[in-house]
Amino acid sequence: MTVFILRRVLQAILVLFITSLVVFLGVYAIGDPLEILLPADASMAERAQVAASLHLDDPLPLQYLNFITSALQGDFGRSFVYNRPALDVIFERLPATLELVTTSLILSLILGIPLGLIAGVKPGSVTDESIMTGSILGFSLPNFWQGMMLIMIFAVWLGWLPSTGRGETGYILGIRTSYATWDGFIHLLLPATNLALAQIALVIRLTRTGVQETMPLDFVKYARARGISERRILFVHVLKTILIPIVTVLGIEFGSLIAFAVVTETIFAWPGVGKLIIDSINMLDRPIVVAYILVIVAMFIVINLVVDVLYSLLDPRIRSRAS
Amino acid sequence: MRLTKTAVLAALLSTTWLMPAWAADLTIGRASEQSSIDPQFSRTGNNQMTSTMFFDRLVAFDENLQVSPGLAASWEIQDETTWLLHLREGVTFHDGSAFTAADVVYSLERADEVPNSPAPYTDMVSSLATVEAVDDLTVKITTNVPNPALMEDIGRVFIISKAAAEGKASEDFSSPATAVGTGPYVLEEWKPGETLTMHANDSYWGTVPEFNEVEIRYISNDAARVAALLSGAVDVIDAVPPQDVARLEGTDGTHVFSTPSGRVIYLGLSMRFDQAPAVTDLDGNPLAENPFKDARVRKAISLMIDRELIVDRILGGSGVPAGQLVPDALGGHNTDVPADKPDVAKAKELLAEAGYPEGFGLTLYSSNDRFPGDGDLVQALGQMLSRGGLKVNGVEALPYSVYSKAASAGDYGAFVFSLGSSTPTSAPNLQSLLHSYDKEAGKGAFNRVRFSSPEFDAALADALQEFDAETRIAKLEDATKLVFDETPIVPLYWQKVHWGLRDGLTIEAGLSEQTLPQKVTSAE
Repeated sequence: MTVFILRRVLQAILVLFITSLVVFLGVYAIGDPLEILLPADASMAERAQVAASLHLDDPLPLQYLNFITSALQGDFGRSFVYNRPALDVIFERLPATLELVTTSLILSLILGIPLGLIAGVKPGSVTDESIMTGSILGFSLPNFWQGMMLIMIFAVWLGWLPSTGRGETGYILGIRTSYATWDGFIHLLLPATNLALAQIALVIRLTRTGVQETMPLDFVKYARARGISERRILFVHVLKTILIPIVTVLGIEFGSLIAFAVVTETIFAWPGVGKLIIDSINMLDRPIVVAYILVIVAMFIVINLVVDVLYSLLDPRIRSRAS
Repeated sequence: MRLTKTAVLAALLSTTWLMPAWAADLTIGRASEQSSIDPQFSRTGNNQMTSTMFFDRLVAFDENLQVSPGLAASWEIQDETTWLLHLREGVTFHDGSAFTAADVVYSLERADEVPNSPAPYTDMVSSLATVEAVDDLTVKITTNVPNPALMEDIGRVFIISKAAAEGKASEDFSSPATAVGTGPYVLEEWKPGETLTMHANDSYWGTVPEFNEVEIRYISNDAARVAALLSGAVDVIDAVPPQDVARLEGTDGTHVFSTPSGRVIYLGLSMRFDQAPAVTDLDGNPLAENPFKDARVRKAISLMIDRELIVDRILGGSGVPAGQLVPDALGGHNTDVPADKPDVAKAKELLAEAGYPEGFGLTLYSSNDRFPGDGDLVQALGQMLSRGGLKVNGVEALPYSVYSKAASAGDYGAFVFSLGSSTPTSAPNLQSLLHSYDKEAGKGAFNRVRFSSPEFDAALADALQEFDAETRIAKLEDATKLVFDETPIVPLYWQKVHWGLRDGLTIEAGLSEQTLPQKVTSAE
């Protein structure tokens, strides 16, 4: 296990290094931040002053060298726009995104797994057909349009739920979160639902397939023969064995949701990292873009590692093979 | 017992979980966010807008950018390079301390020294030689060169409290303890990407704003911002997209306020090189000479464009046809320089005179995310120029972050660009857009087409030296007429901007495009 983790860490360092190089060159090629940052009536003197203070007039290899040396010391540069350390800006926004993504994952688990189990037990029944048809909608509606519809229906027409921002936040165990207040909680509902709909559909389908594959297996027959109730067979024995693919997919989805919750965050004005990165790309705020992508890559590496470890916890066969 | 338990539980819930949201008297949905509360960190429009809520300047700019006394109650010119400013009496900062000359000296000195500023106020204070406090309410200023526009220049610098800000970095201004100004509102909290909250300054020296508690929400998505107004979550929104104007007007409970902006959209025809990029003969081979160097060709292209049609069909009426740089609310606008009306016959005549009776080929370039309708605009232009007798080889629309760099590098022969106004007169825009490109002197910084006319340069320099305000404006008008006789660029239109408001509210807004809570009032 230790060797395994060590090897993973070395791979991670290599991946991070290559990413930093590619992203740095890519961002450098896009455009000139001075064109965006400077006001329309800026003079040449101001231009020169800004170029010098942001080190934009240094040759590219020198810029990269400076970046990588300070990055190794944990300093990813200062945002051009906010003049604050890039990592500070990112980590300030990350909790909001994590909160949104976690909520939508929880929603997808507590709705998706039971629905998938019900659909899988009696394939072809009316219940199964309706659940599966519903999940097609969840998959295929464009996220953007679906978000606008949620706003139109629940915020504009019915007036039940707020549609912008995080609302009142409070502190639970020192973490600033919308869960701490009622106002914050209802602000969370629409964006989390918007993000969760596709996930729910995914979980339903994975669960249903899993159930259909597992039900005919011998251990289910033995369980029945022992007189265990159908309900216990389904929710304990079958569920346990079908969790592996669900954990794998959700692990990867968790990463993608954090990295790409952009659309939902933009529509619902949710102050997370997705919105930050889009704004930063438009403003050519190079330090933020580079630092953000490195953070996301690091996060994916960690998630993959965690998923691997979870496997061995869920499946005794993998555990015994490893030892 | 049971009753008390329930009561305690209810009390607990009501104080923590069920606590109603903090209700503001006025909630504004704003499209863009400032990058810092430090009013001297960056002078982009967003930052100036936010700064105007908490800080004052030596002069006040109204919604159409015209100047009136601000923290400087009056000023006198002792000789061409010496000025005496008399500061307003009895003004206090948000923390209760008195506003004095020392704060002015400190603010002006700090203006060009803010570390890592992406858009510093350097130009505003570059003509200052010395700034000294004569007494508590008098400041004496000497300049390097005679600068008739001194008050417009240093008047743009926001005045901060020396005691509160000394030794602090820009990011410290996120705290009300450092962001101490004399402005109509007092900062409460800034949650980046989320909200900005403030309350009215009861001891404000000017008119105390009507709404006390104000919350600004940052909602960058156009559709979401409009939905927030429709759902009643916010009372006012800015930057209403043109296509939603009719809808907000038609909805019960909301209305729209529109005003022309100072942003001119123009077509640039590059005279930079001897061969214009992507300009070809009729067979598609590069043209040996640059046709845009001929003023008749530039005029012909201007005559091919139907500006009314563009405004009407592409912008849904959200524009005003333009024939020069600044609209008529600003100093230096010359009423004798109208927008060209389409006249294809005349255009063909001019082309023939210039030696292109059959026209030539060109490619048009534009951004596609910079201002409403920019991608559609360039396609319409393409059609109009083909109708006018040119061969349009293609139109290309790119994201602004990519486009702006290439446009400044001179990669495009014919390209659409825009320029906003943030000053009371056309002088700075004339200087940066149309003055001959001169890197040493720092003039013509945005002269991407490299137009050059020594007569215009001289006329502009003369106007800038003029101390008498009225004569200066007249000279700017003459210079405008002089330069636009040669069609240095092809102005298309000035944008209109829209605000959406809940019925019962009005907003004073204009060329400055600012959405300020102190300018929002209940309608009579």
